[in-house]
Amino acid sequence: MKMRFNFLIYTAIAATLLIQSCDKGFEEMNVNPDASSSAVPEYMFSKALLDALNNSWFATDALACGGSMQQFATYKDVPGIGDKYYFQQGTYPYDYFTTGFPGAVNEIATVINALDSSEVNELSISRIWRVFIMHRITDLYGDIPYSEAAQGYTTNNFTPSYDAQKDIYADMLNELDEAAQALDASKTTFGAGDYIYEGDVTKWKKFAYSLMLRLGMRMSKIDATSAQTWVQKAIAGGVITDDADIATMKYTDGTSLNRNPRAAALLSNDYAVADGTSNTEGGKLAQTFINLLKDNNDPRLNVIAIVWKDGKADTSTALQFGMPNGLLLKPDSFVYYSEPNPSTILQYTAPIIVMSAAEVNLYLAEAAVRGWYSGDAATTFSAAIGASMRNWAEFGTAGVIAESKITAYQAAHTLTGTTAQQLEMIGNEYYVSMFLDEQEIHANWRRLGYPALTPVNISGNITGGTIPRRLLYPPSEESVNAASLQEAIDRQGANLMTTRIWWDKE
Amino acid sequence: MNILNQNLILGLLSCALLPGIAAPVSAQTPAMYASMRQTDNIPYHKAGTMSLKDALIRLKKLQNIRFAYREGLLDGKMVPADVVDKAETMEAEAALKLLLSDFALAYSRVNKTQYSIYTRDVNTTILNYNALFADKLKGKITGPDGAPVPGATISVKGNSALVTVANDKGDFELNLKDATLPVVLVVSSIGFDKQEITVNSAADLVSVTLAESNKALSEVVVTALGIKKDKKALAYAVTEVKGSDFTQAREVNVANALTGKIAGVNATSLASGPGGSSRVIIRGNTSLNGDNQPLYVVNGMPIDNTTPGGSPTTGGGGQNVDRGDGIGGINPDDIETISVLKGGTAAALYGSRAANGVILITTKKGRARKGVGVDYNSTFTAETPVVFTDWQYEYGQGDGGVKPSSQSQAVTWGRRSWGAKMDGQNYIAFDGKEHPYSPQKNNIQNFYRTGSTYTNTVAFNGGNEALNFRFSLSNTNSKSIVPNSKFDKKIANLNLNAVLGKKISIEAIAQYNVENATNRSSSGDATGNPNWGVYMIANTVDIRSLDPGYDANGREIQWNETAYASNPYFVVNRFKNNDTKNRFIGQASVKYDILKNLYVKGNISRDFFNYDYVGIIPTGTVYTTGAAGEYSGIRNAVSETNSMLTANYNTKLAGTIGLNVLAGGNSRRYKSNQTAITGTQFIIPFFYSYTNLSTVTTTPTRNNVATNSIFGAVDLDYKSVLFLNFSGREDWFSTLSPQNNHIFYPAVGSSFILSDAVQLPKAISFAKVRASWAQVGGATPDPYILNQSYSMVQGGHEGQPVQTITQSNGANLVTNSNLKPLTSTTYEVGVEAQLLNNRIGFDITYYNKHTTNDIVTTAISTTSGYNNALLNVGKLSNKGIEVLLTGTPVKSKNFTWNVSYNVAYNQSKVEQLAAGLTTLQMATSVGSWAFIHNSVGSPYGVIKGYSAAKNEKGETIYNSATGYEQKSALKNLGNGVPPLTMGFSNTFNYKRLSLDVLVDGKFGNKVFSVMNVYATRFGLHKKTLKGRENGLELSGVDQNGNAYTNTIPVSNLRLYYDNTKNYTDQFIYDGSFVKLRQVVLSYQIPVQKLKIVQSASLSFVARNLLILYKNTDNFDPESSYTNSNAQGFEAFGIPRTRSFGLNLMAKF
Repeated sequence: MKMRFNFLIYTAIAATLLIQSCDKGFEEMNVNPDASSSAVPEYMFSKALLDALNNSWFATDALACGGSMQQFATYKDVPGIGDKYYFQQGTYPYDYFTTGFPGAVNEIATVINALDSSEVNELSISRIWRVFIMHRITDLYGDIPYSEAAQGYTTNNFTPSYDAQKDIYADMLNELDEAAQALDASKTTFGAGDYIYEGDVTKWKKFAYSLMLRLGMRMSKIDATSAQTWVQKAIAGGVITDDADIATMKYTDGTSLNRNPRAAALLSNDYAVADGTSNTEGGKLAQTFINLLKDNNDPRLNVIAIVWKDGKADTSTALQFGMPNGLLLKPDSFVYYSEPNPSTILQYTAPIIVMSAAEVNLYLAEAAVRGWYSGDAATTFSAAIGASMRNWAEFGTAGVIAESKITAYQAAHTLTGTTAQQLEMIGNEYYVSMFLDEQEIHANWRRLGYPALTPVNISGNITGGTIPRRLLYPPSEESVNAASLQEAIDRQGANLMTTRIWWDKE
Repeated sequence: MNILNQNLILGLLSCALLPGIAAPVSAQTPAMYASMRQTDNIPYHKAGTMSLKDALIRLKKLQNIRFAYREGLLDGKMVPADVVDKAETMEAEAALKLLLSDFALAYSRVNKTQYSIYTRDVNTTILNYNALFADKLKGKITGPDGAPVPGATISVKGNSALVTVANDKGDFELNLKDATLPVVLVVSSIGFDKQEITVNSAADLVSVTLAESNKALSEVVVTALGIKKDKKALAYAVTEVKGSDFTQAREVNVANALTGKIAGVNATSLASGPGGSSRVIIRGNTSLNGDNQPLYVVNGMPIDNTTPGGSPTTGGGGQNVDRGDGIGGINPDDIETISVLKGGTAAALYGSRAANGVILITTKKGRARKGVGVDYNSTFTAETPVVFTDWQYEYGQGDGGVKPSSQSQAVTWGRRSWGAKMDGQNYIAFDGKEHPYSPQKNNIQNFYRTGSTYTNTVAFNGGNEALNFRFSLSNTNSKSIVPNSKFDKKIANLNLNAVLGKKISIEAIAQYNVENATNRSSSGDATGNPNWGVYMIANTVDIRSLDPGYDANGREIQWNETAYASNPYFVVNRFKNNDTKNRFIGQASVKYDILKNLYVKGNISRDFFNYDYVGIIPTGTVYTTGAAGEYSGIRNAVSETNSMLTANYNTKLAGTIGLNVLAGGNSRRYKSNQTAITGTQFIIPFFYSYTNLSTVTTTPTRNNVATNSIFGAVDLDYKSVLFLNFSGREDWFSTLSPQNNHIFYPAVGSSFILSDAVQLPKAISFAKVRASWAQVGGATPDPYILNQSYSMVQGGHEGQPVQTITQSNGANLVTNSNLKPLTSTTYEVGVEAQLLNNRIGFDITYYNKHTTNDIVTTAISTTSGYNNALLNVGKLSNKGIEVLLTGTPVKSKNFTWNVSYNVAYNQSKVEQLAAGLTTLQMATSVGSWAFIHNSVGSPYGVIKGYSAAKNEKGETIYNSATGYEQKSALKNLGNGVPPLTMGFSNTFNYKRLSLDVLVDGKFGNKVFSVMNVYATRFGLHKKTLKGRENGLELSGVDQNGNAYTNTIPVSNLRLYYDNTKNYTDQFIYDGSFVKLRQVVLSYQIPVQKLKIVQSASLSFVARNLLILYKNTDNFDPESSYTNSNAQGFEAFGIPRTRSFGLNLMAKF
């Protein structure tokens, strides 16, 4: 018995020793050799810039918004969410939820968390960029998680509540106001990690006020008083009216991170083969858009559109025809329809114009027409056209529009007429000058109702033959955030593409 | 030996395992042992004497030998204590001689560890022998496979003195002595049924073929750590299957052959072709979304069972292939037995990964023999696809009731069977040629080919008592039914055993595998999936008209409107998808017998593989950017290394209580060093190197995981009637936070042999009850998930570095620094019995398994910025009943029929997820039409989806604006995992013929069929016939509750049926089935006259012959294509096959 007792004692002693030494080296072993343990705000900010502009452009902008705005068309069913208001397959309407929040939204939140409060400029620029990211999402869906978004890691909030869009707008405008005022040219910046302005604080200030102008104008239909207040505050702060101040994101040819995401998306989904007929998703530029450009003799047509003729991309006006929306079969004339210009739009090195002087000038013109701005509406309208046309030169030599053509077009399109007529002209100009930023075009169309579009009504559509007014919340939210989602639906209306969001009141 | 990692050994030392175990061992000197013996052994009954039986029991434990004797032979015989003491200082035979000397008893040595004891009557034996010149009987004892049964005991019924034992070759000689003919011989051997045979003449050679016993009476089974135990001592259910069960009607992956064989083991083969993985689940899923497959252990040491590159995803496309698992690399010919440890008690000694059960594989060893023995096994099988599709063949290709009138229309409508009534007239098809507008019913047979699998194994064995070996070489060549797809594997296995002197024995095993797969088929979504087009092509198009699938420029010829539905011929002719796995499994162990009843054993093993995969989506693939193709490559080096040290001591307490103590430590290291290369657009067409890509991303994944453990077990045995065992283990995990990284878990079990303890009715030959309770702790297998980390994006942008949040499995994960170990607790009770002279047996088990603190990767709202969170809160329960019934309905001289029926019912329930979470999304189907969830209150893995909304009167609610049915809320549509499984095995033996028939079934699960969704959308499904002539009448109510009627015109029928994809329930099928799984008809070739051949058999083998019962339309209920936890989807896997062939086995 003594022996066995000893045996147990020895074992117990050994076990006790083991408990102290049996995890030696484990902590070091559990460190990922291919990752670092802290975020570098500058490098992460770069990612947030890139991701905010590279999210679902093809599905959300080209197919959903661009299709329903009749700038893009497809004869196929599956990509026909905007073209025919079909929803056959895919996750197109959910992309900003599934990739936008875990991408840019979370990244900019990470940057803000990693910054010290003394880094005033970095913090303010990040707040401005966060507003930029969030307003695009709320404009697509309406109520979204905003104040509780992207807190999964910091506070373990896994079921963020949805904020009313009205409150989101109030906060975004407030954020822009505070951040713009806090910017201080004497302090440090993100430097070269800030691809848009490379740390130019003055320009970021103009960007903040321009964004404020955009958001203020967005409320023109639902709350004209507030809209006017914010528009005037923005103008007083100083907005982007010169080409030198525009916010531009630059790209190079390289990996998918480096390439212009719009060019990459259009090429990979439709136009890579460059023969006018092999288009994977059956895409072309739409008839409504091309006709408008042709009817106005708009010189932008020739930098935007081409037709494949004898194996060459031909930009001549006479050849340009847009494909009608709502087709169910590949038309025999498919090859003759216009496509995005490979020398401008489809360049991997093309820039994305995030905020243009053209857009800002159009807001100024609209503000003037509404009596919220003392400047001359016609002058700013003309300046917008000029700025828009000059923007195409950023896409390369094929995008350069001769000054004479610009002047001629400006002369032929002066802003006159009744308020409604002037707003229609402004609406049509948003439609053309902001081409490729389809979300903004869709937002301005919902707000102004211009250009006047005739919806297609193809059997089997899911909107009852009306142009979609929002995208759909994903089923995953129903599955993992049901209570919050239900609150939003109770407030906003059914989760349908026909439901109007807060600022889009009838 | 370079496989032994220096660091590892150092790690073990620094972990103080060696002193921990070695200290008590070295303290155990013989002197101490002797002193212990006097104080606490079996007490002497009367002053100075003890029973002979007890003396022999002491000797048995001391010398580790066994005795066989007739019941009652030793009764009433007492031995003086000093004789016993003296005997215990002697060698076994001398001791035995001494103990038996006072009685009329003799012994004979059966083998190294077994002796039989019988009556010795010196006078009569010698007298009779001399006087009567008795006949000498000669004969041979063989097993059912024709192999000799060495050590079989042959005795004369009614005269137990007349006994002999068969030699190594199964031959025996028996002196009949005083018996007179005819005599009845009784032949018995462990593991075989006792057999009686009447011998009339001594002139004949007596040939006896023994049938293998399936009785639990004296069965020795392999249990945890490779320790062999008497089955009756076990407190839990354990099932052992002979390796020979897998070597005739073979599966390329041996785990697939477990289907239907063992109660409670749900083995699923996948629709991913030869070389694919298996999914084996024991007693339900233990973890909400961790790995639920069992731990595979070969000869006591774990092997790796990961699938390189991960399992295919449910909704993936491109090259969504199953690259095979680790168990698929074990050659069934090398397997002696497979033991399945189902419960926690059985597995507790294996630690965390054993919570899902353990599959113990014991490989064959060499045997002492003259010369070299050779075993040869050759199997050839042919596989043909089974066609389940039953499409409509009334209306042909087209849309809106119209057939194509031009080539471009035929292409747009390539997958639409919404055309006119078939009329047999010519029409323009997608190739621009005229084809008759007639049914094409043989597209599946025409596209797939007859597959074949050719397996050859040759094994050599030999040696002597001191050193023996077994060496095998195996080659498997498998040609898939998918054209240009094949798989081959070559396995070499060497097993060496050596006894070095009296105290040290060593064993070493080395195995090398080379596995090559060519063009494994994709499944899931349409891109790059050859199966998709074969099934979905319009019903008047001959699939062969798509051949070869590419034009003169190598560009894929598009056969339908979307580039994403690949041309099947293009995929099989041009896609490349090749992988090579070089695998080495090495094991070495040294056992040192410090005393007769105390040994220490050191084991070290490493399973290492190097994996190289290259997938080419070629130039010309129309769905890729610019039709310029894509590249993916995986290079991976994985190792699983275990070092273990154990000490084992056994003795007797108070003469009647057997005690066995085991203590040990284990150190596990897992390393995976993977580089994944993905890229797009080959710059120079058709030049498939990753140096030739427009964009390339290289992703390194270096995982490093360690677990250190100490464990111990105590087994008590009271008179072989009552057994008690206790075990405990403590694990330290590298993947958890240092504050919470270890857990201790105990187990206790008991078994009671009722039939030995009390007098039971005569009909009951054997009865046992057992009960056990056990915990197993576990941790996350993934490292680096305690804290969020940040990765650089290679190359940056515009000359500036870019940083991103490190993703886990392609998604943002909320890491958790507070993770602690999870616990799985199981209790089980069971009863087993043999009735009517072992003609009927049953074994019933009830178990209840709870998993708490389960580490769960939970899908969370993406608006949190993260896709998943890692939580430590899951609770999951599994309870169930397993029943095994065995019997021998017919038993006569030439004919026996044995049956074995097993059935298991497992009820799983998700008890708890994180606070505020009621459901956990595990997987999404193609198209997001159905989901697999773990929902609180529901069984594990339910299928969720939508249906068309109905009002309280049951009327369908339509949206009057769109004309479509309104979609219901997301709801539960059934179990993805079958709760009820069964297998029914029959073996018939008639003289030299035997027939083995296995029928198995699974019941109670549902399957969501992606193929039927598409078949409905494209007008192939028979239900789409409704409305083809005059439109489809719909009636119900609108969203405001008003009566609603609508007629969908023929022109819009396609879009109406297309929209039915939103109503998941229309594509949910009952997955229950009964299959005729296996038939083996064997003939033992008479080879006695051929000196060179010992035995040979030829068999007709067949697997998956017939489905006897199913409820699915157009697909096999067993159509899962991933071995992940997401079960319950069908989506265009490779068609299931039926296989037939021949098997030849010979021993030389």
